[in-house]
Amino acid sequence: MTKEDTVKLISAEGFEFVIDKEAAMVSQTIHNMLTSPGSFAETEHGEVTFPEISTTILEKICQYFYWHLQFASGKETEFTIEPELTLELMMAANYLHT
Amino acid sequence: MSNQKKRNIQIEAFKHKVLGDPKYADKTWKILEHAIHEIYNHNASGLSFEELYRNAYNMVLHKFGEKLYTGLVTTMTSHLKEISKSIEAAQGGPFLEELNRKWNDQNKALQMIRDILMYMDRTYIPSSRKTPVHELGLNLWRDNIIHSNKIQTRLLNTLLELVHRERTGEVIDRGLMRNIIKMLMDLGASIYEEGFEIPFLEVSADFYRVESQEFIECCDCGNYLKKAERRLNEEMDRLGHYLDARSEKKITNVVEKEMIENHMLRLIHMENSGLASMLLDDKYEDLRRMYTLFRRVPDGLQKIREVMTSHIRDTGKQLVTDPERLKDPVEFVQRLLDKKDKYDNIINLAFNNDKTFQNALNSSFECFINLNPRSPEFISLFVDDKLRKGLKGAIEEDVEIILDKVMMLFRYLQEKDVFEKYYKQHLAKRLLSGKTVSDDAERSLIVKLKTECGYQFTSKLEGMFTDMKTSQDTMQVFYASNPELGDGPALTVQVLTTGSWPTQPNVTCNLPAEMSTVCEKFRAYYLGTHTGRRLSWQTNMGTADIKAVFGKGQKHELNVSTYQMCVLMLFNNASRLTYKEIEQATEIPASDLKRCLQSMACVKGKNVLRKDPMSKDIGEDDTLFVNDKFTSKFYKVKIGTVVAQKESEPEKQETRQRVEEDRKPQIEAAIVRIMKSRKQLDHNNIITEVTKQLQSRFLANPTEIKKRIESLIERDFLERDNIDRKLYRYLA
Repeated sequence: MTKEDTVKLISAEGFEFVIDKEAAMVSQTIHNMLTSPGSFAETEHGEVTFPEISTTILEKICQYFYWHLQFASGKETEFTIEPELTLELMMAANYLHT
Repeated sequence: MSNQKKRNIQIEAFKHKVLGDPKYADKTWKILEHAIHEIYNHNASGLSFEELYRNAYNMVLHKFGEKLYTGLVTTMTSHLKEISKSIEAAQGGPFLEELNRKWNDQNKALQMIRDILMYMDRTYIPSSRKTPVHELGLNLWRDNIIHSNKIQTRLLNTLLELVHRERTGEVIDRGLMRNIIKMLMDLGASIYEEGFEIPFLEVSADFYRVESQEFIECCDCGNYLKKAERRLNEEMDRLGHYLDARSEKKITNVVEKEMIENHMLRLIHMENSGLASMLLDDKYEDLRRMYTLFRRVPDGLQKIREVMTSHIRDTGKQLVTDPERLKDPVEFVQRLLDKKDKYDNIINLAFNNDKTFQNALNSSFECFINLNPRSPEFISLFVDDKLRKGLKGAIEEDVEIILDKVMMLFRYLQEKDVFEKYYKQHLAKRLLSGKTVSDDAERSLIVKLKTECGYQFTSKLEGMFTDMKTSQDTMQVFYASNPELGDGPALTVQVLTTGSWPTQPNVTCNLPAEMSTVCEKFRAYYLGTHTGRRLSWQTNMGTADIKAVFGKGQKHELNVSTYQMCVLMLFNNASRLTYKEIEQATEIPASDLKRCLQSMACVKGKNVLRKDPMSKDIGEDDTLFVNDKFTSKFYKVKIGTVVAQKESEPEKQETRQRVEEDRKPQIEAAIVRIMKSRKQLDHNNIITEVTKQLQSRFLANPTEIKKRIESLIERDFLERDNIDRKLYRYLA
C-alpha cells in the first residue's frame, strides 16, 4: 500500500485509521473532499480529521467501507451492527453521506 | 434484556456546541463566509474541508438552512459584481481572455463551494424547492456578468468581430472562442441562441450577401462555385472547432441561401460559363460541384434539370434538322449515339447517376429524334452499314454494345413501324447479296427487337432467315438428285416466302438460254416436291459470276447482277449492239437497264463495255461493245452491287405511302378490339384507347382514326347512336 493509495482518517480521540482511498470513496463526502478542484488542506496532506466522530464509530465505518466494496453486489452476507452503536452510526452515516 | 452484557447505555451529550447558543448560527456562518471569500481569492489551501462541511452540515441540521442559503447568494453576488467590474475594465483584446479566465475561476470556486455545501444541496434544497448550488452559481453568473449592460453587447460584438476577422483570412484564437461559446451554452440554450446565435446568423447572412454579390460580378460560374464551396467548407470547419453543433444546419442554410439560392438562375444562365457551356465542354468537375451545391437548396436540382433538358432539345433539334448532316445517314446516327454517350457520361460522372436526370435526358431525346421524319430510316441504314462492314472483325462484346446502343435509339422512335419497313428492306438486300458480316450479330439484333416489341414485330424477319436456310438445303438436295447438271452453270436459288420479304414488283427479264434450262429444271423439281405453290423469278435481285476473256487475253471473273449478266451474255453472239437491241432482247425495264449499263460502261475501273458516244448517260441511240482494252489489277472484279442507299425523294414518298396504307388495317383492328370489349364508347375515348394500344408501333393520327371509324360504320361493324352522335356501338 503506497502512500498514494491511502488516506488517514482521524477520530475525535485522535486515533488514526489508514485505509485505501478506494474504500474511503464509498463515502460521498470523503469522495467530494478528495476530488474537489480546490486545494483544501485534506488533499494536501492526505488526512481527514473528524472531531465529532468517536473512535468506535469510525472503526465501524471503516469496516463498513470494506464490507461495501466486497459485498455490495448483492451477496447475502450481513453487516452486523451492535444496537448501541446504531444511533451514532446513523448520524455519522448521514454526515458522511454513506 | 437479561442476557445482555452489563453495559450502561448512555446517551451522551453532544460533543459539539449546543443549540442554545443564539450566536451559533452567526458564528458558523461567518466561518463559511470567510471560507467563500478565500475560495474566490484562490486562497483555499489553508482551509479544512471537513471543518467547513461540518459547519454547513450543522447549520442545516439545526434549521438554519435558509440563513445559509441567503448568505450564500449574497456573498456570491457581491463577488460576482467585483468580477464584473474587473472584466469591464479590460480593454480591447484582453477582454475576452479576462472573461474566460474569470469564468474558469468561477467554475472552480463553484464546485468547491458545492462540495462543502453538499449536505444543504441534498436536504434543504429539495424541501424548500430552491435552486441547487451549481445552477445557482450559473444563474448568478449569468445575471451579473452576461446580462450586465456593459458586458453583454461588448461580448457579442467582440465575438462577431473575431468571426468576421477569421472570415477575411486572419487567424484567431480558436480555443478561446470555444471556451466562451461553451460558457454561453452552459448558461442555457436560450442564452446561446439570443445572445449569440441569432445575431451571428444575421451578420453572417449580411456578410455572405455582400460577398456573393461581389463574386458574381467578377467571377465566372465555375470559379464562383468553387468559392461558394470553399466558404461552405470553412463554415463547417468553424462549426467543428468552436461553434455548437446545433447551429450547423442554421449556418449552412444561411450560406446556401445567400450564396447559392439567391443567384441560382443567374449562375445557370451565365454567358460562356454557365450550365450550357459546361455541358458542351464536358466540364465534369464543375458540373459535379454545381450538382452537389444545388442539391442543398430547394428546387436547385430542378432548375438544373430544366435548363439541361431545354439545352439538349435545342442542340438535338439543330442536329436533326441540319441539312448537312442529313446527307450521310450513318454519320447522322453516329452523332446521335455520340450525343447520348456524352450525356450518359455527364450524368454518371457529374450528376451522381441521378434517375431524374436520366429521365429528363430520355424525354428530351425522344422529343427531338422524332422531329425528323427520316430518323427511322437512318437508324436502319446505320445498322445496315454496321452489319455489312462496320463490325467486321469486332469481338462479340463490342458488337453487343453497339447493338444495345442502337436499341436505345430505337426505343425513342415514335414511328416504329416505319423502322420495321426499312429494316426489312435492308435486311433482304443484305441476306440476298450475302453481305452480312456476322450471322450471330443479325440474330442478336432480332432477339433484342423481339424483346422490345413482341413476337409480331420480328416474326417476318425470322421468316427471312428461315427461308435462307431452307433454300440452302433445297439446293443441296436438288443437285444431289440431278447430278448431270454438275457440268452446267452452277445455279443457287433462294426461295423466298412472299409474306416475309418486302414486296417486289413483278419484273420481266429474258435469261440467256444456258440459264433458262437450268432454271426450268429447278422449277420442275421444286413444284414436284411442294405442291400447291407458285414460283416467280425475281431477276432484279440476283447476282452472277462470269468468267470473261478480253481482247488481249486477260482473264477476269466478273461479279455482276443478273441483269448485267443477261446483257453481257448477249455479246457472246454479237460484237456491237445498240441500246434498243439490248432492250428488246432482254426485256429489262428501261430505268433498270440504263442503270446497269451505266455501271458497266461509264464507271472507271469497271468499264467492261464501251459506249459510243462517250457520254455519261445512256441515250436511246447509243451503241455498246466490249472493251477489249479492259484492265484491272484484280482477277475478280465486282461490278454494280445492289447496295442499300438512302432513298431518293420518289422512293421515300412511296415507302411512306405504303406505311400509311399498312397502318389503316392496324387502326381498324384496334378499334374493333376495343369496341368488342366495351360494347359502346364515345368518340374521344375511342381515340385515346386506340392511340394507347398502337403507341408501341406508331403515333396514331386522330383524323385517320376518325376515317377508319367511318369506314367501319359503312361496313356494318359499328353503328352510331341515334341520339348522341358521338357515341358508337359495336355490331356483332
